Amino acid sequence: MAAPSEELQDKQPTWNTSIPRNGEEDEPEVEEDDRHEEEEEEDDEEEDEPQTPESKLRSDGEKMAKLANRLRSEPVTLRVHDVIIKGNTKTKDSVIEAEIIDELKRASTLQEIFQAAGIGTVRLRQLDIFDSVSFMVDAGPKELPGTANVLVEIVETKNPLTGEIGMYTKPGARSWSLEGALKLKNLFGYADIWDGSVSYGWDQTTEVSAGVSLPRLSRLLTPVFARASLLSQDWLKLSSYKEQALGIALGLLSTKNHELVYNMTWRTLTDPSQMAGMSVRRQLGHSLLSSLKYTFKVDQRDSPLRPTRGYAFSFTTLLAGLNPDTRSARFLRQECDVRFAFPLGFYRAALNLGISGGVIFPCGRGYLDRPSSIPDRFFMGGNTSLVCSLAGPSSLLGFQSRGLGPTEPRRQTRDTSDSDSVTASERDALGGDLAVSAFADLSFDLPLRVFQEAGIHGHVFACAGNLVKLTGNEWQTFSPKNFLQSFRSTVGCGVIVPTKLFRMEVNYCHIVKQFEHDHGKTGVQFSFSTPL
Amino acid sequence: MEQLREGGKLILVTTKPCFGLPTACPNCLPVFFYLKFARLPFDLYFHSTFPDSDQIPYVESGSYVAYNNEKGGVIECLKEDGIVNLDSDFNTIPEWISLKAMVSSALADALMHELWIASDRKCAQTIYHSDLPWPIGPILYLKQARAAKQQLGITKENANRKEAEIYKKADLAYAALSTRLGEDSFLFGDRPSSLDALFLGHVLITLQALPDTSVLKSKLLNYNNLVKYTEKLSAELVGDVSAWSSGSPAVSSSTNPSSSTSKPAGFSNWCSKPKTKPKKERTEEEKKFRRRAKYFLAAQFISVLVFLSLFGGSDTADVEFEEEDDGIDYNE
Repeated sequence: MAAPSEELQDKQPTWNTSIPRNGEEDEPEVEEDDRHEEEEEEDDEEEDEPQTPESKLRSDGEKMAKLANRLRSEPVTLRVHDVIIKGNTKTKDSVIEAEIIDELKRASTLQEIFQAAGIGTVRLRQLDIFDSVSFMVDAGPKELPGTANVLVEIVETKNPLTGEIGMYTKPGARSWSLEGALKLKNLFGYADIWDGSVSYGWDQTTEVSAGVSLPRLSRLLTPVFARASLLSQDWLKLSSYKEQALGIALGLLSTKNHELVYNMTWRTLTDPSQMAGMSVRRQLGHSLLSSLKYTFKVDQRDSPLRPTRGYAFSFTTLLAGLNPDTRSARFLRQECDVRFAFPLGFYRAALNLGISGGVIFPCGRGYLDRPSSIPDRFFMGGNTSLVCSLAGPSSLLGFQSRGLGPTEPRRQTRDTSDSDSVTASERDALGGDLAVSAFADLSFDLPLRVFQEAGIHGHVFACAGNLVKLTGNEWQTFSPKNFLQSFRSTVGCGVIVPTKLFRMEVNYCHIVKQFEHDHGKTGVQFSFSTPL
Repeated sequence: MEQLREGGKLILVTTKPCFGLPTACPNCLPVFFYLKFARLPFDLYFHSTFPDSDQIPYVESGSYVAYNNEKGGVIECLKEDGIVNLDSDFNTIPEWISLKAMVSSALADALMHELWIASDRKCAQTIYHSDLPWPIGPILYLKQARAAKQQLGITKENANRKEAEIYKKADLAYAALSTRLGEDSFLFGDRPSSLDALFLGHVLITLQALPDTSVLKSKLLNYNNLVKYTEKLSAELVGDVSAWSSGSPAVSSSTNPSSSTSKPAGFSNWCSKPKTKPKKERTEEEKKFRRRAKYFLAAQFISVLVFLSLFGGSDTADVEFEEEDDGIDYNE
């Protein structure tokens, strides 16, 4: 509400509050009083003309005080007659109106107009194409008493091209990635934002993407986006394949809690090392993924970075195989995450509990004995923050990326004992069709005030996870008891350092339980994530 | 052979079966015949989602894999790794070496030309892309056709000359092989070698996969002894044509030569002369026609442009600019 009140301090709006919305006279008494008031104000104004600046300032202050009292005590009936937009040389009027008109039309009192103006200010600023947004309420035409005109002044951003760069750890990724992005704002005046980004991971993952987002498209009420991307991921050391994905994504629905995205991706798996095991060899080649992904997310925690109270959950459903061509990949993938945070009342301590699960079902002809696609399976491991991320059962502190689950021996050649393969695993990580992970995390402030003021805090955690294969007839030998007994687990403690550029975790992890061919390591680990 | 004993059964991974053959890929079929000649029991696995891979065909047994892009090919890998070697008596014979080089170069280039450049795309797409969804299949076809042209050095300017050269070399190769074969059962001696496997694979694909208008096919049909040699061996080794139906991911291949129950379609039914191929005779006329068509279209386009520039723009006076109206009138 700051903008309207600031503008009201600069100007003296005059309004007639007597005429209700439908033109019927419901409050004649108020009308006469108000007319007298207005006449008094006008008389005052006429009398004020020859006044000194000090006395003018005093009378203005008195009027503002009177106005504020009136606003506090009773609703001031007023409706919006006209909305005037100024300052938009490039942006289309329809784009600005779409963000503010509905609220202003519904307003029937001055208080509601102020509220609508505040909401409109926030929405226009969220478009990210204006340097400043201000609302002013002015008197309507004299022949229409009880109306007001709303003047919207915007200042379009002078430099439509912006850039940003950052370093992050993504869920499921092996290591950190450096990301740079360029944004071109409002190119065609529809609040369209064009962006291009390049991301390079230390594990030789590269992604080049370009996209456009629109706040509104035709009659759709939510923002839409279209994005084309070329992703190259190198999993040679862990799973003996490289993945290249050329895809188009269309964001169809995007609200606070719901998101619906359509993806069409041409994926190619290759094995330049020629060391892959049989399961990976069978899946090398080209595939087309046409899928619809729906995400329902609710986060009622007090903070996404250091939650101390509240709950959050996320359900993601991915249905692949939407095109009529039966040769494209067909499966259903379901993920869910649940988080709870409980305050403990000392040293700003909080107990965070979470559980994540995921399952994949192939569909189509021969689904019972056909294995699922390896890149679509669940992989567990890596150092992503357990508390912050809601990205499915992907992270298990203490284990390397793709460091647990089903594996398969690689190809054996006469040269496999060479020194080149010292750092490479001799088995391919194949992932699982069913994955479950859980954690408990106790976070607390550190004793020193310096740390507390900087937001640096400590935590103690315990986490467990497991994943198994179900497809390719493996479901016939699945046993819930064996699944529970084969959970891997880790305990540890660490320090979290939030900075403006990234959020860093330094953890000491102790592996409690792991199996043969897992890659868990007791020791100190680092992770970086977005600062949000 | 020790690796095979440890690993278990041998599996040959190829492209999918079609045209009545276990595989119609020129790289894969010779390996099939090589293993058949060696009388090694093996299974077939069809990998049809990676047509542009240079690793396929490959032979695997447990953790042992022999890729086609290593050590000169799968057959050479099998020889070097001690799995099977049919060429121990032949690889010192100069004529054997030169005929093998001829089959591997001249005939291989000719077949590549026929599959990717000379014939319509249906043949190559059936062999390589029929299991890939749209638009991956068509895009990969274009990519592989372009790669074939680059490998053969064919451009728009030299297409006809290169084509004639390729057919001439192929004809010479057929003549040499026909002379070498005579009335014998195999090309050298009384037992097969990798040369027989390579040549048999080439001939079967040429006769069964290529369309009847193929020039290469017509040239091959001129050599009756080669056709008979192919017919006899394919009846023994390929067996029942209906067994090679697409969609079966793995087929077990028996080494019993009597397992075949019916002969494949007889090659002797085919006429040695190709059906009329007007394409080559009309090339010059087509070029002339296309050139004139281009001039005609260009003239039309220029005349439209001239018309628009001279007589266009008369509607601008009718456009009325409305004054900018910032507000919205909510008169009710």
